[in-house]
Amino acid sequence: MAPESDIAALLGRVALRDRAAFAELYSQVSPKLFSVCLRILKDRGEAEDALQEVFVKIWQRAGRFAAAGNSVVAWLVTIARNHSIDVLRARRPVGESRDDDWQIADPAPDPEHEAVLKWEGKRIDRCMEELDPDRAGAVRSAYVEGLTYQELAERHAVPINTMRTWLRRSLLKLRECLDR
Amino acid sequence: MSKPEQSEGDRSRDQLLAGEYVLGVLPEADRRKVEARMIKDRAFAAMVASWQENLSGFDADYEEQAPPSRTYSRIEARLFPARTFQQQLLSSGGWWNSLALWRGLAIASFATLVTYVSFQSGWIGEEPSSRTLVAQLSGDSNAALGLMARYDTGSGLLQLMPVAAKADDARSLQLWLVPDGGDAPVSLGILPQTGEGAVDIPADLRPRLRDGVTFAVSLEPFGGSPTGLPTGPVIASGKAQGI
Repeated sequence: MAPESDIAALLGRVALRDRAAFAELYSQVSPKLFSVCLRILKDRGEAEDALQEVFVKIWQRAGRFAAAGNSVVAWLVTIARNHSIDVLRARRPVGESRDDDWQIADPAPDPEHEAVLKWEGKRIDRCMEELDPDRAGAVRSAYVEGLTYQELAERHAVPINTMRTWLRRSLLKLRECLDR
Repeated sequence: MSKPEQSEGDRSRDQLLAGEYVLGVLPEADRRKVEARMIKDRAFAAMVASWQENLSGFDADYEEQAPPSRTYSRIEARLFPARTFQQQLLSSGGWWNSLALWRGLAIASFATLVTYVSFQSGWIGEEPSSRTLVAQLSGDSNAALGLMARYDTGSGLLQLMPVAAKADDARSLQLWLVPDGGDAPVSLGILPQTGEGAVDIPADLRPRLRDGVTFAVSLEPFGGSPTGLPTGPVIASGKAQGI
């Protein structure tokens, strides 16, 4: 893949309806985005359909990317992840509703500190090391593969409520570490 | 919603919800609720954006994998269905409403302004109420983009069209004759890259230039359309009329 700045320049030209730039952007980032679709949907046909939809969205939304301080590749991956997860959820309705299990201690109660957004994605690796390996693995596969609580629970052989608590506690710990 | 007196518990709950959304563990209905809330609640949207940025470190796990070769042509077919030339002439261009276009215009520093007098004025009659001016706006030589401006004196509408301006992907403006009755457009030639856009009409085509025919200019790859038919967007068009 070309450097981030080249991808950003291509996306800028796509926002201006430059079809040649769109073709070039496709050749640069489609292997990464196809990998996202495939990893989440686990079916080549569905992943190919999803990739088409993703690039239609990229063409339509290119003008919405705000370059300042944001990674363009991360933005493109987010479009691919969100679309693939939506396809997955629509395919397998999980009848899983949100519960009210919110009584988890919050280790990061400093609102002013929280208001300062942290943009360095790399810090996640350091913060993941502070979690139990099991839970870090659950967080990572939830993100990378778009797994539901139910699927994560089965994979780790724990009750679903345990998995829910694991992930929520892990998220709060990560938030606290990332804001530190 | 986010209120100044929002309790710590609420904030914590919102942080979790935002994190769960980005992780992708929420069921479909909850995903839609989160997205609806992001639109109205900027503080919450910022939480989601922050998670997105933080967790994007996991994107490294997606190892590149080439999609099937047919996929791109399918995407093109979806986005750019073959339209008749008449439809192209009628489409006023969604790019005019594009925020990105205006953002691009604001960012670029345009140094030169070369004005074309449009092809309609002068050598063929045109309704005086809708004279068209076309201008190419370009920046320093490194700028990837220029703009083509089209001004219609009749409607008072100034339209702008982005143009790839780098030497290696320069574009040409191609003039077309669009016959009545839906026949395929005929190329009348390439407009000069600078200066006044006069075109010497081939002798065999001259009899076809008469009242009622439509002229159009499209943006094409450098040197003109590779197919013999317009392939790029039509940036100007008008009907010829005797005076």
